[in-house]
Amino acid sequence: MDPLLGMGVLALMGAAATIAGATEDLESDVGSQSNPNSQVQLAPQMMHPHRIYNKAISGEPPSNALMCAIGGTIASVMMSAYGLSVVFAITFGAAIAAVIHGTYAASSFMGRVSSQKRFKQPLYLDIVRSHTPVIIGYAFLTTFFILVISYLMSSVLNHPFPLPLLAFIWGITVGAIGSSTGDVHYGAEREYQNVEFGSGINAANSGDIVRHGESGLRNGIDNAWFCSKFGGPVTGIAFGMTVFLSGWVTTVFNPGESITMGWLSVIAGLLIVAILIIGNRIIETWARSTYGPYQEEESEEVTA
Amino acid sequence: MSAGGSGGPATGGIDHNKIIIFGIIGALVGIYAAYFLVNAIGSAFSFIAGLGAICSIVWGASAVRRVSNYGLGTGVPSIGMLAIGTGMVASLFGMAVGSIAGPIISFVTACIIGLVIGILANRIIGMGIPIMEQSMTEIAGAGSLTIVALSTTMSGTFMIETILPNVIGTGYIAMIFIIGALSILHPFNANLGPDEHQDRTLSTGFEKGAIAVIIAGIVATTTAGAASIPTILVGAFIWYTAFSKFYEYIKRDAHKVVGTGVLPTEEELE
Repeated sequence: MDPLLGMGVLALMGAAATIAGATEDLESDVGSQSNPNSQVQLAPQMMHPHRIYNKAISGEPPSNALMCAIGGTIASVMMSAYGLSVVFAITFGAAIAAVIHGTYAASSFMGRVSSQKRFKQPLYLDIVRSHTPVIIGYAFLTTFFILVISYLMSSVLNHPFPLPLLAFIWGITVGAIGSSTGDVHYGAEREYQNVEFGSGINAANSGDIVRHGESGLRNGIDNAWFCSKFGGPVTGIAFGMTVFLSGWVTTVFNPGESITMGWLSVIAGLLIVAILIIGNRIIETWARSTYGPYQEEESEEVTA
Repeated sequence: MSAGGSGGPATGGIDHNKIIIFGIIGALVGIYAAYFLVNAIGSAFSFIAGLGAICSIVWGASAVRRVSNYGLGTGVPSIGMLAIGTGMVASLFGMAVGSIAGPIISFVTACIIGLVIGILANRIIGMGIPIMEQSMTEIAGAGSLTIVALSTTMSGTFMIETILPNVIGTGYIAMIFIIGALSILHPFNANLGPDEHQDRTLSTGFEKGAIAVIIAGIVATTTAGAASIPTILVGAFIWYTAFSKFYEYIKRDAHKVVGTGVLPTEEELE
């Protein structure tokens, strides 16, 4: 393939991945999935009932793998059995996958709230009705852009894997990156805005999450608003970079041309990883020296 | 996860042994009935394998519930993944070597692998869950039956010559893997908590199983041996019934189901 065309496809995949990463993180934040979930789950037990959507669909990688694999399957069926165009097939697949994700979200929220009867956590139906469509919307965007990436890989870049399998793998990847990158912003910062920055989550503070918003009672959509300022975009950049840089090395140094090019692509990949590690280290030491280590004041005793 | 199971044997109205029988017999009868009826009459009967898949999913969910009640929280998803992973290996092996006995060989192989995993987990790693060996055997067996049943729903047969190009080569097997795993692990994971009830968890199992059947029905449009419309309709009907039942149980079990409202006061929480 023309290297320039390859770069163009790669740029498109990177852009799609950036959006997918951002929407994935926001989707998980609306429903407090994965990391922040346990604190929201624990809150009623600590006498802190709340109005926050709390869905536990087995962590982000499997739940995103599920919706992307369903989307990829339906899109693939639509293209092969009905001869639908790619755009319609992917849209249709993403829509069905997002609605199914919505049923998973709703059943886990209502189920877990009902299983906390003894802690007197009420089930607010307006939270179900207002948050589930938002979750479906974000899930649609994530699935759609993951399918765009998977389709470009299988049809333009001639990846040997079929579309559903690629979508499945990218679903796990986007879920893993969303879980590791974006959740910190919601879990440690948003839920514990009332404690000093950098203090971590003290065991005595477990379940003592911030339940009141800028106005009124806080809910999952408020959290998505907060996370869309930093957590979501940074997840998008992380996932976009992962897709772009991992494809870049083999597009510039195409192993199909010669064995030397293959080795050059390996070296380029190692160089990128080394630069990222060094860059991360510099940022970390800079942040530590600028903001300093968190020091707990002796006089201020934390009470449970 | 901080809020795990209640840390003891699971309780509930329906005896787990009955659910084991329901799962094994239901799934195997479903798979074989679909296979023979599709061969003898026509592809419209492929949906019976979907009913078999629901039986094995509900059994798997019940087994997950039973073992996870010993205090597993974040371990619930892991154990579901383990189930379907073991099931995948076993069912591909069984279908590849078994021909007409494929589903049974898959099931037996999965049970053996599951038993070994259970023994490793309890004796070597020392997890100390009394029913670990039995539960891992059950979960792996349920996983393998789910995979075989969903594959049969998609293609009308469990013969590897048809499964290989229609289900594995096309990549739909990845979807079967993840939807099978989630259907088995999600019911207990979704209802995790000290006030979990068996009927509510199992109704979620039926609901998630029905979704898997609907998707398998959509895939069936691509294959000659299976019909999609009956499968989708049956799946949609079971989904609606199960979800209505689930919502009934929610209204029964929740502390309060309110349209909207402010948080309970300190006095109300006392």
